[in-house]
Amino acid sequence: MSDFELNRRGLIGAGLIGATMVGLAACDKATLAPGVSKADFAGAIKAMRGVVGDEWVFGDPEAVTPWKKNYIPDPEGRHVPVGAVAPKTVEEVQEIVRIANKYRQPIWPVSTGKNMGYGMATPATPGQIVLDLKRMNRILDVDPELGTALVEPGVTYQQLKDYLEENNIPLWIDVPTVGPIASPVGNTLERGVGYTPYGEHFTFQCGMEVVLPDGQVMRTGMGSIKGTTAWQAFKWGYGPYVDGLFTQSNFGIVTKMGMWLMPKPPVYKPFMIRHDDMADVPKIIEAMRPLRVSSLVANCNLMMSASYQLAMFKRRNEIVPDGRPLDDASVKKAAKANGLGMWNTYFALYGTEQTVAAIEPIIRAQLTASGGEVMTAAEMEGNPWFHHHATLMQGGLNLDEIGLLRWRGAGGGLAWFAPVAAAKGKEAEAQTKLARGILDKHGFDYTAAYAIGWRDLHHIIALLYDKSDREQEKKADACYRELVSTFGENGWASYRTGVNSMALVAEQYGQVNRDFNKLLKNAIDPNGVIAPGKSGIV
Amino acid sequence: MRRSLSRLLAAAAVLMGGSAAQAGQKLGDYLPQRAPEVVYAKVCGYCHGRNIGPILLGRKLPVDMITLVARQGRNGMPAFRPTEVTPAEMAALAKWISTAAPRAEEKGK
Repeated sequence: MSDFELNRRGLIGAGLIGATMVGLAACDKATLAPGVSKADFAGAIKAMRGVVGDEWVFGDPEAVTPWKKNYIPDPEGRHVPVGAVAPKTVEEVQEIVRIANKYRQPIWPVSTGKNMGYGMATPATPGQIVLDLKRMNRILDVDPELGTALVEPGVTYQQLKDYLEENNIPLWIDVPTVGPIASPVGNTLERGVGYTPYGEHFTFQCGMEVVLPDGQVMRTGMGSIKGTTAWQAFKWGYGPYVDGLFTQSNFGIVTKMGMWLMPKPPVYKPFMIRHDDMADVPKIIEAMRPLRVSSLVANCNLMMSASYQLAMFKRRNEIVPDGRPLDDASVKKAAKANGLGMWNTYFALYGTEQTVAAIEPIIRAQLTASGGEVMTAAEMEGNPWFHHHATLMQGGLNLDEIGLLRWRGAGGGLAWFAPVAAAKGKEAEAQTKLARGILDKHGFDYTAAYAIGWRDLHHIIALLYDKSDREQEKKADACYRELVSTFGENGWASYRTGVNSMALVAEQYGQVNRDFNKLLKNAIDPNGVIAPGKSGIV
Repeated sequence: MRRSLSRLLAAAAVLMGGSAAQAGQKLGDYLPQRAPEVVYAKVCGYCHGRNIGPILLGRKLPVDMITLVARQGRNGMPAFRPTEVTPAEMAALAKWISTAAPRAEEKGK
């Protein structure tokens, strides 16, 4: 216990007394946004207190500490908010937006701020006040017949699942890997994925309410029709489809979001396919693609490397001594001892007894021919990795992946690098080779997975490092930038990235695309107060 | 008879301090204040006691330390803000963890 440093002046105050209302003297040390004076900042903080109450405005560096935590490399300390404000209603959000415009004070909206490995609640550029929407946590509607829900940004997957279970509504949720504390709104707006057939979250989103940068409230899809009953039933509305403009962007603040929920199927059967060699990547992708394109396998698969799997529940020095590279032979030995292959591909069948029984032999034949061992609960009962994935693929909740943060030292460093590829074996093989080369050069491990979508791959690479080691943090930062740039040179770019690399990833998508985003930004948010730097849009 | 029994049980729940703290969330309502056991089960207990985070229960950890670490995060642990675990919930939670008995089913160090 002696290793805990109790800073009683700081967080204890925030925790026990509630939100602090310390004066503005401490902001002398904080970096304010370009063009914002201390007087502007003080004026904005004061006005925001008038809207949400003193206890929900956090205006000095110590009180803001709970919003500063992140896992990403930030050697220059750029991703540090100067304040936080937590409204409870859409009207309060509108008022805060007006205040932000008046004082030119940028605000960085987050839902629950649990965007793990992408920056959590921290902003892309210095000087922003986090607009923390977690207190807006109402589940506004659930329609058991249509299988739809309407929720506020602060609703967590845990809340939604609890509501469905407590009310015996036979609908599933679809979760990312940190479901209990993350929100459907936040994850969907980041275009995150889950692992049931409803795993492509933005595809299953339907209708939004958005506070625009001028303070007006707009409803998308059918939501602006008086008396509509189809807001959560029909996605497209009329005219240009605009919902996408509010994902991975800074064009508005989403205060309500509709989503579709999958009816619980009569039969759910999870599978794991083990392949024994790192070089099996193309075989697996080629075998899985026709199953996914045809939807015989309907959920988003995870094809997990042994090193990623081991990193969830083991520490690196249990596999190789500290300071030694993570060689394939050592990983293979540890994988085998834990019932894992070098690649472990998880998917499930959903349906009736008849449909599952009809599809299973087709899948078994295809995957066995690829050299894989087909495993089910009958063979994998009690295996924690199988249990983890079997839970996720039915929308179950766990936080097992937080174990990744202990893989390398105690400092808790993680940055996801997530380049996209077409679902072709050769592409995946080339991406794996390129990633391993760059990671090896910088002294990091290839702890990676492929999420196999309908026709695409999200190559999800966990860059794991010890954030308490400043030198390692700098190396992780350099490694991440080289990954983004070199993949870009080879025609691959990320589907999503952390606040540490938003401008760099935007560069990969080209000048015309960036100029178009800038044109929209200037038209919609001329004062640039909503989340400057989000997705590289300033 | 059945109705009076359910009334009795409801009254007992109120007397045990369970009313608002134990109730589930209703459509259109904000999340009611959660009892410490509920916060532990729905947040902390996914890692602590499951071989991800260190064991907390039965260790008589100081309330101040629990609050500090929960609010700022430590190492791989995320920070839990007053918007996620309210100040009232955190005060009750830290006290409850500090005095809770160990659980045999929990795993970890």
